[in-house]
Formats: sequence, structure tokens, C-alpha cells
Amino acid sequence: MYRIENHPILPEFHRGKRVAFLFDGKEYEGFEGEPIAIALRDNGVMVHHYTAKRAEPRGIFCAIGRCNDCVMIVDGAPNIRTCVTPLQAGMKVETQYGTSNEGVTGRQ
Amino acid sequence: MIRYEVIIIGAGPAGLSAAIEAAARGLKVVVFDENDKPGGQLFKQIHKFFGAKEHQARERGFRIGERLLAQAVGLGVKVVLGAQVVGIFDNKQITVMIDTQMEYYVGNSIVIATGASENVISFPGWTLPGVIGAGAAQTLMNIYGLRPGSKVLMVGSGNVGVVVGYQLIQAGCQVAAVIDAAAHIGGYGVHAAKIARMGVPFYLSHTIAQAHGTDRVCGATIVEVDQAWQPVPGSEKFLDVDVICLAVGLSPMSQLARLAGCLLQDHPHKGGLVPVCDEYGETTVKDIYAAGDVAGIEEASSAMLQGRIAGNAIACRHGYISRTEFERYHAEYKTSLMQLRGGTFGHDGGEKTQPKHTAEGQPLSQTLLTKGYLDERELTVFPGIPGEAARKQGLVAVLECTQNIPCNPCQDVCPKGCIKVGDKITNLPVMVSSAHCSGCGLCVISCPGQAIFLVNETYADNFAAVSIPYELVPLPVPGSKGMACDRSGAVLAEAEVISVRKNAKSDGTALLTMKVPGQWAMLARFFKPGAALQEG
Ligand SMILES: Cc1cc2nc3c(=O)[nH]c(=O)nc-3n(C[C@H](O)[C@H](O)[C@H](O)COP(=O)(O)OP(=O)(O)OC[C@H]3O[C@@H](n4cnc5c(N)ncnc54)[C@H](O)[C@@H]3O)c2cc1C
Ligand code: SF4
Ligand code: SF4
Ligand code: FES
Repeated sequence: MYRIENHPILPEFHRGKRVAFLFDGKEYEGFEGEPIAIALRDNGVMVHHYTAKRAEPRGIFCAIGRCNDCVMIVDGAPNIRTCVTPLQAGMKVETQYGTSNEGVTGRQ
Repeated sequence: MIRYEVIIIGAGPAGLSAAIEAAARGLKVVVFDENDKPGGQLFKQIHKFFGAKEHQARERGFRIGERLLAQAVGLGVKVVLGAQVVGIFDNKQITVMIDTQMEYYVGNSIVIATGASENVISFPGWTLPGVIGAGAAQTLMNIYGLRPGSKVLMVGSGNVGVVVGYQLIQAGCQVAAVIDAAAHIGGYGVHAAKIARMGVPFYLSHTIAQAHGTDRVCGATIVEVDQAWQPVPGSEKFLDVDVICLAVGLSPMSQLARLAGCLLQDHPHKGGLVPVCDEYGETTVKDIYAAGDVAGIEEASSAMLQGRIAGNAIACRHGYISRTEFERYHAEYKTSLMQLRGGTFGHDGGEKTQPKHTAEGQPLSQTLLTKGYLDERELTVFPGIPGEAARKQGLVAVLECTQNIPCNPCQDVCPKGCIKVGDKITNLPVMVSSAHCSGCGLCVISCPGQAIFLVNETYADNFAAVSIPYELVPLPVPGSKGMACDRSGAVLAEAEVISVRKNAKSDGTALLTMKVPGQWAMLARFFKPGAALQEG
């Protein structure tokens, strides 16, 4: 719902084919090869993880892989920076609750 | 351990330019960038750049990036992406992480061109999803084609804040306000004016008090600050926004220079800790150079020249060009760089205090500095504004460019020689012979500041025609009706679109001509489609 379809300056965006993926057990769609975080945000998902100590929500902040605010559990692996990890069909993406990310989060 | 003659860290404008310069002289060059895409900041910049022709002025940033990359690759430069340089050791050895693998390289010369990182500020709620960096907003919308949200508060009125604000509107977002704790807008007046006339309010001497929401931003409270930057009680304002975008400055990424043992120095007006460099960009460690934002926050245009200067020096050091050739190129690049560094906003080294006058002596517009637009009454003193007598004769170009910024495409493109900036590109543009203006509109569509308008007060009885640069979708069609707005975005009257011209040269900028009641000829500067009278 946030896709730009018609931009005054930029030509068409090169998007991969539409694929389905799972977010917290529910099926969503995104474009293959785009960052997971982009597909999530298009679907209105803003919270990527909750911090360990205070369970505060975190989402995209830098979008270039520097702040670690967008980490999630992807196909079982925690601490995956979703803003720089390409989406693939059938991926299993889960909200991460605390634990292993503590200490690396950019905005504690 | 693989050896290259030149190792460049960072494939932004500085790194690519250094690579091009060295490779063109015959050196074997490799460029590493941690990103998956080359070009650094340039690929997010979809607006037209300032400067002169030699700086690729009036080109959009991403096109400059495409050209640099093609040039580098064409010269045989190896560009390795997804490659983060994590260490520099003695004898110019570097450690690069490529796909979780560590690789080791050694170079005869190294250019550190790692650019800058964005600063952040903290406030209650600042970690909520929905608070993002301005760079992130650009990455989402200009690289991936995704709007970051619907309504945005922009924190910071420097060039990054106002440019990204404009790009957000182009992407289809609303910008609720631009705020800044300083008393003056930090960015170029012409950039601020683009969004002011689209109705974006500027709140200077304001800061953000709080981001509201529990698991995402659902509003922001801003508050005025006094001269000691303390909040003024009772001045709080709530803004209904779902995105808060931070554009509060950049810091040079000089960590690698520190690791390499280069001497660093704190330079507030360069953005923080930067390596100490000589005039060729060589740091205090022999054969290690720094170029671009890492050596001091400036612009892509100057980053490219710094890259060239370093590449040229390296080629000479290693005997690939003669001393005379080297000196000739160096003089050329240096002159070009100094051109860019002049003017009101220049990076020429001196501490800047807020000037009150232009270099030519006109008082600077105070509304431009505080509200983002020119007050009609302040306008008449500037040399680009044709007087009433000239306007009575027919169509004229009006150059609303009132600060000394390094830029001259208007002079370059006018086929009739009507506009003069002169040798010093920070001079204000002067309308030298409006009588010869053919109304071709080339100046309007080329001006990176979108500060030029065509005004025809003799268009029809009681009606004037006003032409503006237009870069939004959908593009209004001739005959359609809408509202003419003034420089602050306030609605003046109904307007009708007479023509909309767009061609290959305009690179996406349309020349929209509207018919407005005659009395608004010198006020109407924006067209808002749709018939309903709305608040600006
Ligand atoms: C919103 C906005 C608008 C702008 N508008 C203009 C304009 O109109 N005109 C203009 O001239 N300039 C403009 N600029 C400024 C311009 O983009 C920068 O000054 C310029 O990009 C700096 O170039 P650079 O090569 O030094 O750094 P960058 O472009 O930042 O490139 C640095 C590169 O180094 C890489 N890197 C960093 N660390 C490492 C590492 N350890 N290992 C490997 N790679 C690494 C990064 O991934 C990046 O690709 C604008 C900037 C912004 C944000
Ligand atoms: S409209 Fe054409 S002729 Fe007139 S000033 Fe602009 S570029 Fe020159
Ligand atoms: S009026 Fe001329 S000098 Fe001013 S921004 Fe436009 S092109 Fe540049
Ligand atoms: S948003 Fe910063 S690392 Fe992904």
C-alpha cells in the first residue's frame, strides 16, 4: 500500500517477481530480491524486534545495514538485518524478541 | 595477499573519481564498497545538482553516478561490491570482508573515500518504528520505490532536510513541517522555497519534544526553543504524522583513517573528526589519501574533484605522468574546487557567521531565511528581477535566486544571452537583457534551484501568464483548472493551465504555464491541481 507506482522523475522501479513469504505465521507478498524490510513495510509491518531489557519496539532506521534496528529471525536464524537481506519465495520471517541482539542495537 | 597499485575504499563520487583518474593514467585499481550498489550517496539523489558545467551542474545525482561507474568500469577498474573494509595495517595492507569471508589485499597507495554517517538526536520516543534517518527515507523511496509513510515531520532544515522533504512530496507523501532548532534555515534558500510554495511550513527555533505512539509513530509534539535552546513552556504543537525523518547532520566516517595511523583533527565546520591532509588529500601517513565527505562534509561535486586530485597525485608519485602534466591537471581541479567552495554557504575554511548581505550588497531576504520563501517586497533589489517597466513590455524571465550559491546553468543555457552570472559562479544571476528573451523556458527547466519563472503581464486583458517548473505527478493537462498559490503556498485564485511542455532536455521537469488574474503575476509561483479551494 506504500508502493510508488508513478514517479515524476524516476523511471519504473525494477522489481522482481511477486512471491509469498511468511511473517509470524501469516502469508504476505513482496517482490523477490528486494530487502525483506521493504516487503514488510509495504504490508504495514513496522515492528521488527523488541529489545531484550525493556521490550521496546524497533523498526527500520538507517535502511543501509548500519544500525541493526531492523534485525529479525529469518528462516530460523536470529539477528538478520532485514534492510539488506533480499526476500526470497517462502521465507519464514519472525519478529525477534530480545535475546541475542542485545548489545548490537544502534538505538538502545 | 593480492596486490593492487591503488586500493580505493568506497565507491561514492570521491572513490569512483579517484579510480577513474588513476586508471586513466594506467594504474591498476580496485574499489571496495560495502554496499551492494555502487555510487554511494549519488544513487539516492534524484534532484538536479548545482555548480557549473564542469561540475556536471543541472544533472540529477543518480545520472552522474551512472556515468562515473560506466567510466570507471570502462577503464578497467575492478569494483567489488558487498565488500566491507574492516582494517588497515602496516604497509598498506587491508582486510576486506566479502560474503562473510575475510580477504587480504595490499596497495601501493590507498584512498579512503568512505563518506559520512548520519547524525541522530534523541528525544522521548525517538526509537519508535517510524523515526527514520533522511538517508533511509531516500533509500526507501528512490531506490526501492516505497513511500516511508503518509505524513512526515522533517527534523533539520539543512540541504539534506529540504531536499529530502521535496523528494518525499514527489514520492506522494505529505510533509507536515520542517523544523530546526537554529533560528535560520540551514539549506539553500532556493531548495527551501521549492517546498514552501507547496505549502510546507517551516518552524525555526523549534525542536522535537516527543514522538507519540506505543509501537509506531502516530504523532509528534514540537516545541519552540529560546536562545539558550531551552523549550519555551506553552509553545508545544502537536503534528499528526506517521514518520519522523531526522536530517540533523553528517559525520565523516574517519575510523579507517584512525586505524591506519593517520593524524585526525576535530573540525566543527567539517563535521567532526577528519584526517589531516595536504592539498593533494594525502594524510599524515605516506601514500594514504582521504577524499570526499570523510575528509570534511561537503558535496558530491567537491568530492569528485577531491577524488581526481588524489588520483592525479598518485599517478605522478608512481611515475605514470610527468610533473608538468600533473601540475596542469592539479591546477585545473583546484580552481574548479575553489569555485564550488565560495559563496554564502561555502566550505572555504573560514568560520561562517550568518551574513546579512549578499556579496553584491543586497540585504538577504529574512523571510527566506526563516520561512523558506521570498517576500515580494524584498525581491525588487535583486539583479535577476525585471522591473515594472520591463514587465510592461511583455514576457520576461524572473530569476528569484538571491543568495551566493555556486551555480550558473541559467547563464549557460540561455540561447539569447539574457542571463549573466560571470566568472565567479557564486555571483547572483543578473538579467542583462530581458528584451531579448524569447520565452523558450530553457532557463526555467534547467535551474537546479527551480528559482526561475516566466511572467507575461501582457498575456490577456486582466490576465497574466506565469510559467513554473513542475516535477509532480499527475502532470496537469492543458485546459485543466486549479489554484494558483503564492510563494508560501497560500491560495491566491483560480488558475487555468495553458500549456505543459516537457522534452528530453528537461529530464523530467515540465514547464507549466498557467493563466492567473493579472494582479497576481508577481506572486503566483505554484499550481495546485483541483478546483476546490483549500488551505495552503
Ligand atoms: C539528501 C542529500 C542531498 C544532496 N544533494 C547534493 C547536491 O545537490 N549536490 C552535491 O554536490 N552533493 C549533494 N549531496 C552530498 C553528496 O551526496 C555527498 O557529499 C557525496 O556523496 C560524498 O561523496 P563520498 O564519495 O565522499 O561519499 P559517499 O557518497 O557517502 O560514498 C562512500 C561510500 O563508501 C562506502 N563505505 C563506507 N565505509 C566503507 C568500508 N569500511 N568498506 C567499504 N565501503 C565503505 C559506502 O558504502 C559508500 O558507498 C547530497 C547529500 C544528501 C544526503
Ligand atoms: S526563457 Fe529562454 S531566452 Fe528567456 S531568459 Fe530563459 S533561456 Fe533565455
Ligand atoms: S537562477 Fe541560475 S544561479 Fe540561481 S539556482 Fe538557478 S541556475 Fe543556479
Ligand atoms: S535499518 Fe539499520 S541495519 Fe537495517
